[in-house]
Amino acid sequence: MEEQMKKWLEPFSTTDGKPSTLATMQEQVKEWIDQDKIDVFLGYKMVQGHPLPHFFTKSNLGEVDELISGQARYSLEKIATKIAAETPDIKIGLMVRDCNQRALNVLYVWNQLNPENVETIHLNCCPSKLKKHADCSYLEPEKAAVYKKKVGIDNNMDVEDAEAFNMEQRFQRWMYEFSKCIKCYGCRDICPVCFCKECSLEHPELIATGTLPPEIPIFHLVRAVHMGGRCIDCGLCEDACPVDIPLRLLYRKVNATVQDEFGYETGTHAGQSPFNLLGDEVTLEPKPL
Amino acid sequence: MDYKIIPSVCSYCGTGCGVLFQVMDGKLTDTLPMKTHPVNEGKLCIKGWNLHEHVVSDKRLTTPLIKKNGEFQNASWDEAIQTAAEKLKGIVKAHGPDSVGILTSAKITNEENYLAQKFARAVIGTNNVDHCARL
Amino acid sequence: MTNSIEEIEDAACIFIIGSNTSACHPLIARRVFRAKEKGAKLVVADPRNIQLSRFADVAVTQRVGSDVALLNGMMHIIVKNDWHDKSYMEARCEGVEEFLASLDAYTPDKVETITGIAPADLEKMAELYATNSPASILYAMGITQHTTGVDNVKSVCNLAMLCGNVGVKSGGVNPLRGQNNVQGACDMGGLPNVFPAYQPVTVEANTEKFSKAWGKELPNKVGYTITDMVQAMIDGKLKALYVIGENPKMSDPDQNHIDKALDKLELLICQDIYLTETAVRADIVLAAVSVAEKDGTFTNTERRCMKVNKAIEPLGDTLADWEIISRLSTAMGYEMKYDGPEEIFKEVTTAAPSYAGMSYERMGLDGLQWPCPNPEHPGTQFLHKEQFTRGKGLFHAIEYLDPAEMPDAEYPYFLTTGRMFAHYHTGTMTRVSPHLDAEQKNGYVEIHPEDAAALAVKDGDTVKLSTRRGEIQVPARVSNKVKPGLLFVPFHFAESPANVLTNAAADPVAKIPEYKVCAVKIEKAA
Repeated sequence: MEEQMKKWLEPFSTTDGKPSTLATMQEQVKEWIDQDKIDVFLGYKMVQGHPLPHFFTKSNLGEVDELISGQARYSLEKIATKIAAETPDIKIGLMVRDCNQRALNVLYVWNQLNPENVETIHLNCCPSKLKKHADCSYLEPEKAAVYKKKVGIDNNMDVEDAEAFNMEQRFQRWMYEFSKCIKCYGCRDICPVCFCKECSLEHPELIATGTLPPEIPIFHLVRAVHMGGRCIDCGLCEDACPVDIPLRLLYRKVNATVQDEFGYETGTHAGQSPFNLLGDEVTLEPKPL
Repeated sequence: MDYKIIPSVCSYCGTGCGVLFQVMDGKLTDTLPMKTHPVNEGKLCIKGWNLHEHVVSDKRLTTPLIKKNGEFQNASWDEAIQTAAEKLKGIVKAHGPDSVGILTSAKITNEENYLAQKFARAVIGTNNVDHCARL
Repeated sequence: MTNSIEEIEDAACIFIIGSNTSACHPLIARRVFRAKEKGAKLVVADPRNIQLSRFADVAVTQRVGSDVALLNGMMHIIVKNDWHDKSYMEARCEGVEEFLASLDAYTPDKVETITGIAPADLEKMAELYATNSPASILYAMGITQHTTGVDNVKSVCNLAMLCGNVGVKSGGVNPLRGQNNVQGACDMGGLPNVFPAYQPVTVEANTEKFSKAWGKELPNKVGYTITDMVQAMIDGKLKALYVIGENPKMSDPDQNHIDKALDKLELLICQDIYLTETAVRADIVLAAVSVAEKDGTFTNTERRCMKVNKAIEPLGDTLADWEIISRLSTAMGYEMKYDGPEEIFKEVTTAAPSYAGMSYERMGLDGLQWPCPNPEHPGTQFLHKEQFTRGKGLFHAIEYLDPAEMPDAEYPYFLTTGRMFAHYHTGTMTRVSPHLDAEQKNGYVEIHPEDAAALAVKDGDTVKLSTRRGEIQVPARVSNKVKPGLLFVPFHFAESPANVLTNAAADPVAKIPEYKVCAVKIEKAA
């Protein structure tokens, strides 16, 4: 356990590779709060040996000394979205890694957060030995199911690897994964870019209720389709999945299609608009979802 | 503006998953799985994810009740406790301590279970204490 | 559980019997899936085709209430093939000979006539369990809620000891407890025969010790179990019932019987967070707080005592259960004065030796697994490591007995009851939760397509179910989850309460009612 704790306490480094200190980050946060640049900062604090999300405000400014980078990732931007929905003018500071920033970009373009009300402190990703894009410590052999060789889809596969299976194998392996589903809705509940008030997954005419596994593959495919142009490949869904369904891979495939067809690069910057994805002639009015 | 994240334990089944309660200005708004918890490692089932909903339900009781002429009436705690104590004392006096049964609960805490059985044994004077382990 | 949840992942074989794990203990099912993907063998025995059945190397649907025959049959095959762990049995167990002799009669053919399991499947189950070590057994109420519940549990233990699987990492006998703190409620002495930490009330030294500690002469006669209480109410012996956080009207078997019992009470006090079906009947209702509004500890199914932390202030004019009990006690002339749960917990550690080494500070957020006898003790990941708690592991010779009620001409179907994944127990918590309610809004009865066709019942049709106790109307769910001749009703729904139908016949020792088997008639509702 102590080993594990140490890992979570590792100091972060800046993007240019220079080691930085927690102190720099803490100073910045204090300054922002002190000068009313932000009302609240979302970061992490060690609580009884566990890195937990924590809110830092003027009333607990002293606690900023306990602010840590916390390698257990939570969806701080989802929390921010909920706060902003309650208190639209609130100014929020956030600790962000690459994935959080991509999520913020999506939330900006979908009008769920106002970039003018958000300040960020950037952290390096936690590099994974396994592969370049796997920018988080969760994708380590012990955590991810790299042992799924005979059945299912290994969580560390690339889209290309998964597509190397013949059609029948592909279908069987994905159906194996989906049939494990315990319908916790954790993939949606944890998702930083899932903010709809009504969710298709809960539409009884679309997906029957009350059974385990849920109706497959439709349950997962409906969610996958809705992830097109939304998913920022943070991996939180897969990390929250109790039965290790390789959701990240599934959504990566969907998003690749969106990129190929429309040149839309989900989450890369806040300049693009999803509302004219199909071209200038088709303009969808933004409306509350 | 008062936002808090409070670590706790899910109160549905016996697995004991670590949860985080999200509290905004004193209101319980969300439940998150605790990432580093030894039991659930950042995952929850459908019940755990919605744990807060049973807490904030408008079906919650908000005050003690005493039935008078077949109808429940709101009562103060002093009145409810005094009435309960007197009636229990009366029954113990008339029929003995073994005429009282206590069902403690698999939903309440260890501390509360400890007090409930102590109450049965030391206060009422009976071992008629059980709970739904069998059910 | 003898072993811990995380250990399940590293078992070489997992045998699940009488537990719909993915629906009722989903985060334990997670470990089963992972074990399977790491190469473990999976054996599932359940009267219904559960979600985990489709992942099993061998899955069988034994007839409800036939578990002793199934387990004896497996052991018969294991012994016959010499797959058992003789050195373990010799070194660590006793009662071996009589037990082994009792298995002789349970030939695969005989077992098939009782359980409906084909000999080849039984053979495979026995082989997988016995030849893949360590093997872990998971069970739940499917094993215990029978008139032969104790026999079932003893048979499960026999199987585990026969193959040397008790006291080893990733092995063990692992009952999955259904309520968040049912383990703790038992540990704390919320039982009619024991003080905290299972110290019998009938042992004079215990009664003396607690009398001294609590400053009051204590009774040494075993009290009523919950099932005894109902009869004592009917008989007029039990006049007052104080119910804390339970809903016996919905959860006890034979609801019409319970109703009569409640009618006879002079005083019913209910302490709850909702006005439950039982609380409606109360004379006094004490409004308690939920898990989010108080501090304290819960002990999970792997004996892990964990800290619960207050997140919000009590809603309305409500009080924590410990405060209510303390106030009531003080009002009755026995002063209970505590600053808060931590002070009570300190008293618990003096009363329960298995908790003696625990404190809120030591527990942190990870908790501590009992036994934890002193402040230096790290807690216990799995039990019976060097030797059994009682010394030698005792084998029991167990004979199969029929359930209390078998189908006949009048009530030709088997009925079994249980939970579904989105709801919980009597539904008080889940049915007021919008997301859970949306998942399943009403009760249902699962019926096999063949049976449905014979009765001309279509999916969604309302049917009438009746037993010797009562009748309910409920929509049919035509499903292959059940076999022909078996019906399943979840017990969460007050509009179609399964426990109007169930049989109150109970295990003679554990007094656990036979919720899992009774005889039922089904008709299309008029």
